[in-house]
Amino acid sequence: MAEEKTLNGLRPEKIKAITDSMRDDPEVLKGVSGPWKSRVVWQGGFRAKAYMRKHVVEMDEPEGLDATDAAASAHEQLLSAMGSCLTVGFVLNATKRGVRIHDLEVALEGNFANILKWAGHSPDGNPGYSAVKAKLFVRADADEKTLRELWRFAVEGSPVTQTIARPTEIITEFEKI
Amino acid sequence: MAQKKLFPVTVVGSWTRPAWLVSALRQRQAGEITAAEFDAFADDAVLAAIKYQEDAGVDIIADGEMRRDNFYSFVVDKLNGMRLMKLSQLMDYVKDRAGFEEILRALDVPAFAIKSPIAVEKVSERDGLCTDEARFLKEHTHRATKIPIPGPYLLTRSSWFEGLSDKAYPTREELARDVVKILRREIMRLKDLGVDFIQLDEPSLSQVVYGDEAEQTFMCAALGSRSDPTHELEFAVRLMNETVDGIDGVHFGVHVCRGNWSRKENVLLQGNYGPLLPWLMRMNVHQLVLEMATPRAGEIEVFKEYRNEKELGLGVSNPRTDEIEKPEAIVKRVKEVLRYFDPDKIYLNPDCGFGTFAERCVNSSPAAYHKLQAISEAAEMLRKECG
Repeated sequence: MAEEKTLNGLRPEKIKAITDSMRDDPEVLKGVSGPWKSRVVWQGGFRAKAYMRKHVVEMDEPEGLDATDAAASAHEQLLSAMGSCLTVGFVLNATKRGVRIHDLEVALEGNFANILKWAGHSPDGNPGYSAVKAKLFVRADADEKTLRELWRFAVEGSPVTQTIARPTEIITEFEKI
Repeated sequence: MAQKKLFPVTVVGSWTRPAWLVSALRQRQAGEITAAEFDAFADDAVLAAIKYQEDAGVDIIADGEMRRDNFYSFVVDKLNGMRLMKLSQLMDYVKDRAGFEEILRALDVPAFAIKSPIAVEKVSERDGLCTDEARFLKEHTHRATKIPIPGPYLLTRSSWFEGLSDKAYPTREELARDVVKILRREIMRLKDLGVDFIQLDEPSLSQVVYGDEAEQTFMCAALGSRSDPTHELEFAVRLMNETVDGIDGVHFGVHVCRGNWSRKENVLLQGNYGPLLPWLMRMNVHQLVLEMATPRAGEIEVFKEYRNEKELGLGVSNPRTDEIEKPEAIVKRVKEVLRYFDPDKIYLNPDCGFGTFAERCVNSSPAAYHKLQAISEAAEMLRKECG
């Protein structure tokens, strides 16, 4: 049996088959679209654990907030989630086009617009990031034009990035037990 | 080394890598071509580097470090027990990750671009470190030759990383003993091959005095543990002197600069050589190969107390700029230095190499050639005045 070809740690033929089936098979599209779920359980102090399928991610806050700094904060993990999503999108598109990636990093940063609202000292303003900067460093076997195009695909096609970039309806509920 | 000419012109080592050589280097690193196949590409690149230097009037020629990934990490191919690791791989072992992240941001570089040879087992020689470079260089130029090698402090500090090296070497002092032995044997081989000038690269010394106080950091290299600056400098002097002790018949230089990975001057270290000179002067080498063209290197007056104590390999050209220095400006600069050094104590060179890191060369070959040509013209003008 012929050995299946791999590129960037992925199987290009399999990737193409999956993305084609998302386009061609409504059931596959429905399954990939969601719902995606997370359950966050308070652990005391500012610590929390997020349970997602079989995975657990811990969160805490920095010592400056009198927290234990046992894990990255939620707002840092938001940056990381965006960076990871951009990475996945870049690798997906590069692999589909046969571009071999040697190294890839995304450096992200953001500043809060008005953190005083979070602290309870300001009734107005946006406590969230006013902007998020994401810089891609990549070493790959393609010319700069191709890589820039792959980066554009990654940014425009990133579910996490576009959730942050676009107004997203947040539906909250509450129940006292 | 008997140099008949005054103001010999030389280079610090590395030359700009052609794109095809970088491509071949990646293929070799990925195991897609053999070392012999890569060497065939590198031979051509070295010949071009020699030709550029000879045509530019360089008196002491280097091979451009064309076979190297960078100025020191190439040792992983020549030594057993060393593994080339990217900073992105070392991040799991770094104590102060947040501190490293701040430096990466300040330098605007990815963690995968910084690579270090890490001692993961007992280190021993497989081949000579640079004997292949020296042999090929000697075969293809009639001019005097220079081989740059990593200095013992750089190699020890960059190779010993807690969590990775301590099983083979509980302390970095124990690694240093093997590093010194290996470098001494290499120097003897280079000497036997007839290499005229051996330059020991110690750029991380500038991090000791100008860098932040972090125990682990990186500049040109990912650097493992350090203690206080005085202890580090004493350690560096001791290792250097143990490395060159009793070896004569070859010219030794020590090169110290403040970083050569970026053309953004503001991300490189700065400060004059004053704090380093007391230690550099105690190193038993003939020459200090120093950057002096960049304003970040500070004022020349720091040599006032050390008049003629060593030869000076004077950096008179910034390898990271497009502008070609005017020979007249170089002459003027050298005349300032002549207040502290006699003419026969001064060699002329660029501040650093043109391609310290194969994938982050700081200038084009034509620009490097014209810069060297300007230095040679300046040297001729100076010889007429001082000869």
